[in-house]
Amino acid sequence: MKKNGKNGKSWKSAIRFLAFPAIVLVIYLILLILMPDETIQAFKSCGGILRSLILPLCLVFAVMLLLNLFVKPAQIVRFLGTGAGVKGLLLAVAAGLISAGPIYAWYPLLKDLKEKGAANSLLAVFLYNRAVKPFLLPIMIVYFGWIYVVTLTVLTIIASIAVGYLVGALVKERAGALL
Amino acid sequence: MKIAVASEGPDLNAQLGYKFGTSAYLIIVDPETLEFEAIINPGASARQGAGMQAAVLAISKEVDVVLTAYASPTVRRHLLDAGISVITGLSGTVRQTVERYMQGEFEQRAGGEQQFTAGRSGINRLAILNALRSSARQFANLLPILIGVVLLMGLFNSFISKEALDSVFSGSAGLDTLWGACFGSILAGNPINSYIIGGELMDLGVSMFAVTALIVAWVTVGLVQMPAEIAALGRKFAIVRNSVCFVFAILVAIPTAIIFNTFVE
Repeated sequence: MKKNGKNGKSWKSAIRFLAFPAIVLVIYLILLILMPDETIQAFKSCGGILRSLILPLCLVFAVMLLLNLFVKPAQIVRFLGTGAGVKGLLLAVAAGLISAGPIYAWYPLLKDLKEKGAANSLLAVFLYNRAVKPFLLPIMIVYFGWIYVVTLTVLTIIASIAVGYLVGALVKERAGALL
Repeated sequence: MKIAVASEGPDLNAQLGYKFGTSAYLIIVDPETLEFEAIINPGASARQGAGMQAAVLAISKEVDVVLTAYASPTVRRHLLDAGISVITGLSGTVRQTVERYMQGEFEQRAGGEQQFTAGRSGINRLAILNALRSSARQFANLLPILIGVVLLMGLFNSFISKEALDSVFSGSAGLDTLWGACFGSILAGNPINSYIIGGELMDLGVSMFAVTALIVAWVTVGLVQMPAEIAALGRKFAIVRNSVCFVFAILVAIPTAIIFNTFVE
């Protein structure tokens, strides 16, 4: 019974992941009948995009592997909840930068941290810095170049501190919060 | 020394809980004095990530050993990575289990228990294998949507005219940034897709103000994830954070685009 439940869940998950590309493929098939020339052109355009992504995707996998090897969510959450003042702020920035995976996986851990007294400002700083994804930087560099990526990364980190300050000021902190 | 025991009750006479992540309590025991602290297991009421929450608690309590009937391989891995040894396959009361541990009974592994000792070396073959497995899973999860986005961008390149795009993105820095931030707030998913969409839009002549605002808002503002954020961190926090982040998507996009336009183009 349990196994069936798990299988059902994995089927649902597979359908959820494949639904979007499948729908786009169906659109292609319909367009191929209605406007074959433009659709073939669209396919060629996809090929070009995919070719330009192959090398950076290999780099993405390599950086992902390194992060998985050295960075553990439990450790990130642990040091996110331990600091105060400037140290806490820097730790929240660092935790946001190196954190990976979908945001849904982080909510239960952040909730736990909040209940233990972590400041709203630090949680906001952490969430904002998730905008910088070290393992995706190769893709970003291919599209926009080094100058853009460095500028955006630096400005994002600076903005995260301002966002943290504003969220902390606008959302009433509980007594005993860390910042 | 501190030992964490997954338990069904709040004292030493309680039976061991079946799963480390979902047992009702974690009893933190000093095995020398048998002084203990009973903590309600945060994982017991969690819908997801129960094992991780219990692991975070054990790590934050700086325990040396976890004793339990069962802990998932993922949870075991996180505990071992934090230097905490794990012994599974146990049964009995908390007191009996701690006493058996102190008598060194589990080192003989006579009762079907398994001992996982935290290594000090950090990286070993198992860690590399686990990291490879996690990376492959993350990568496999990323690919279907990425391929869908690439296919969609192919259609976009072929069917959407520059005039149509110009009607939305007029070239005005303020309006373009606002539109980019709006699209980025509604769309969600892996940020790699925002880079591909942004890059293709840039090739079609859309300004970097719009592209950057889309990329920044894509990750920092999450209208789709808002219900989950409200449930975890509170309504006021979620609304304030997303509103502030929307404004900052615009504030970050403008100087980034100006620098890009000045130095790159």
